[in-house]
Amino acid sequence: MHRETVENAAFRAGYLAILTFMLLPLAVVVATSFEASGQLLFPPENYSLVHYRAFFEETRWLSAFDNSLLVGAGTTVVATTLGVTAAFGHELDDGRTGQVLAPLVLVPLLIPPIILGISMRVYFVRAGLNASFLSIILAHTLWATPLVYFVMRSVFSRFDWQLLDAAKDLGAGPLQSFAYAVLPNVKHGIFVGALLAFIVSLQEFVMALFLSSHSTETIPVVAWTALRQSLDPMVSVVSTFLILISIIAIVVATLATNLEWLSKQLS
Amino acid sequence: MSGTHSPLPAPVARVWEPLRKRSRSKRALLLMAPLLVFELLLFVAPFLILLRISLTSGSTDLRYAAGTWSLDGYAEVFTSGVLLDAIVYSFKLGLIATAITVSIAVFYAYAIWRAEGALKSALLFSVILPLLTTLVVKTYAFRPLLSPTGTVNDVLLSLNLVSEPIQFVPGTIGVIVGQVYIVLPYAVLAIYSVLSTMDWGIVEAARDLGASRPRSVLEIVVPQAMPGIIVATVISFAWSVGAYAAPGLLASQRVPFAIEVEKRLLSNLQWEIATAYAVVMLLLMVASIAVLTVTLNYFGGEFEYA
Repeated sequence: MHRETVENAAFRAGYLAILTFMLLPLAVVVATSFEASGQLLFPPENYSLVHYRAFFEETRWLSAFDNSLLVGAGTTVVATTLGVTAAFGHELDDGRTGQVLAPLVLVPLLIPPIILGISMRVYFVRAGLNASFLSIILAHTLWATPLVYFVMRSVFSRFDWQLLDAAKDLGAGPLQSFAYAVLPNVKHGIFVGALLAFIVSLQEFVMALFLSSHSTETIPVVAWTALRQSLDPMVSVVSTFLILISIIAIVVATLATNLEWLSKQLS
Repeated sequence: MSGTHSPLPAPVARVWEPLRKRSRSKRALLLMAPLLVFELLLFVAPFLILLRISLTSGSTDLRYAAGTWSLDGYAEVFTSGVLLDAIVYSFKLGLIATAITVSIAVFYAYAIWRAEGALKSALLFSVILPLLTTLVVKTYAFRPLLSPTGTVNDVLLSLNLVSEPIQFVPGTIGVIVGQVYIVLPYAVLAIYSVLSTMDWGIVEAARDLGASRPRSVLEIVVPQAMPGIIVATVISFAWSVGAYAAPGLLASQRVPFAIEVEKRLLSNLQWEIATAYAVVMLLLMVASIAVLTVTLNYFGGEFEYA
């Protein structure tokens, strides 16, 4: 009995320690953004919003913010289109294409982004697309599409395919039957997939670092270059926004499905 | 309309059904084609070009001499002490970070699996939030935490556990902590997704038969979670060997492969060396991941459930 109590206490202390380890660094970043001095202090000594005001006055950060939104939106559109159509096709497919497609889509996630970044840079320089928004969007799509694709495959696998056949029996064409029979049942999945694609693009920085120029750099790229020079409290401010956006995305995705399902899609 | 389920006369159905199936698989192909073309153009083609450039000779005024064939890039990779050191450092980092990450991940995934209600949500949230946060923010956070004047050292000093502040950051300990933090969420979710399909009754049965809690976990839970553990190991290893953000912000002098290759490509403009280096590194990683997977499969083999 006593042994059980000790074990339980140790178990609880163990996972609470890891919980702290997971959340503390992010809490530190948010807290340091309120420090009045130019130093990076945790816990802050004097609270102030001075760095937030500075953020909204600095054009480099603001234009990077716009760039991030543009790249994120582009990635979301391309990745969601590719991912949803391919997952739908895979579900209809009984041939070998699907068996080739799944690993081909997955592999880019396992290759270190630095190697992908190098190969993309070399490629886009040759294609004359270097430092364009298009090149960053395409690179991010390579990472975002697998998420959409695997989310949609799991959604389609739970879909009752007799509904599609029924729609066809009633005379609907391929597009009509998709729009009326399939779409209403999978729209939550598509939404969550698109949201994840957007977040992936917003937060990715290694490939973007290799592919962007001064006029196309995204938020994490500017943050990275700023940190390489010195510890900049402005990075805390920007990071706080990025963390906030992720929290909002998780809450929205959880409302559309649930946390348990979301966590399984991400693994 | 092409697809109809109305009962057809048998002879008509014999001709019609295969046709209907064929048009269905053609449509499937058509739907998969865009992604297939995208992967070929944006993933396979860039790699072929990378491979081709790694086989050119260097050029003093350009990034590489187009059209030439040479093994100079590879020769440089295997003779340069700096590049070889970076490879060794990267693999050490990969192994240490993976060992720590996977051990913590098994424990945490188990805790999430056993938790219920609000606690379970909190634990899952603590994994998903860092997962969806940029690498820059995640690694940057360890600067105020682990630096000699940072929070952790303040605590250690005030508890009289150390007399002098320890320099975790910049330094290799800081890099490892940062890298574990980066890959832990992926590892936890990979293991948790396998555990969540597992039957708790088996563990209870083992307990009823007298197994202690640690023993029941080691002998029942870990073997069953092996498919997830393998995925977690592969992901942790692959990303830690190729780590860029954590060493970039937290390392002192020792430089891993990713930083070195970036320097060759962007600062020195030695494309044939940078690309050859990337190719060598990728091959080494693929080989070690294959060995790792086979080894783990061997240990997990007899308990294969998933």
